[in-house]
Amino acid sequence: MRAEPTDGDLVTMTLGGDSEGFATLVERYDRAVYHLAYRTLHDVEEARDATQEAFFKAFRSLRTFRPEAKFSTWIFAIAYHACCDRLNRRKHFASEELPDRADASPGPENRVIALDEASRLRAAIDALPEKYRTVVTLFHLQGRQYEEIATVLGLPLGTVKTHLFRAKEQLRRLLSAMEVTES
Amino acid sequence: MKMDGHGWPSADEALERAILELPLEEPPKGLRTSILLATAYRPAPAFSFPELAVLGSVGAVALWLVVMLVLGGGDLFVHTLATIASALSRAFSNAAVLAWLGAGGATALWLTLFTGSQPAALAPHRSERSASR
Repeated sequence: MRAEPTDGDLVTMTLGGDSEGFATLVERYDRAVYHLAYRTLHDVEEARDATQEAFFKAFRSLRTFRPEAKFSTWIFAIAYHACCDRLNRRKHFASEELPDRADASPGPENRVIALDEASRLRAAIDALPEKYRTVVTLFHLQGRQYEEIATVLGLPLGTVKTHLFRAKEQLRRLLSAMEVTES
Repeated sequence: MKMDGHGWPSADEALERAILELPLEEPPKGLRTSILLATAYRPAPAFSFPELAVLGSVGAVALWLVVMLVLGGGDLFVHTLATIASALSRAFSNAAVLAWLGAGGATALWLTLFTGSQPAALAPHRSERSASR
């Protein structure tokens, strides 16, 4: 049985002129990249555009990809920066404050009645401040690879761990509050 | 999943597991197709850049020829051509001009080694490194 090509092999294939390599990379990561974009931007159209932009930029600058790096981390970093650009533009053009603070959102209590466990957890994540929400989203995508998360966000490893710790604390509080409200 | 009194995970690990088990967002229909059409399956342009440069040059010379013929007939065209040929032959018989051309060409060749314009040469290094990881 033939082994699946690694991401590095697919990058090499693409650079060698075989575009199927990049097509496979798109198939592997488009959903995860869209997830990151949607969880960051909370807008289907903007998330779609940011995902396309991320893959387009990655394709154009594939030669700058370092072979010792992970493709997933690289594409997530490109996507995250595309999302940040969009958020900055939103902040620049919109007069209202972005819902990046837990207490600035309408409150999960009003939104989560009759939602299942996963939906409640997702609603609680949405209610987190932006910086915590992004760390949790990347934790969801990359697992306990804290160094990779730090690379995507361009933050020190310690900051990522602190953000994740605080995010989990807030999540527990929010989830408990939701349960109390429902009961 | 280990739950607290409210039915939610109390332990750090259980909460982490719950996060990791969340399903990914469903991307909109056609997203993958549009990404592929903009990247891997992007139709090749009708002409490459060097081809466009050659075509543009040929077009410019043709236009110049037409203008010369319209303005002054064959004599003006022949005279201009002779002037250009003599200027070029004088330039290329000058050692300084040839030295500068050589230096420019060598620099351009040297720069291509750093611009990734030779993927075929780099490719084996990349795969060797990933295989050794």
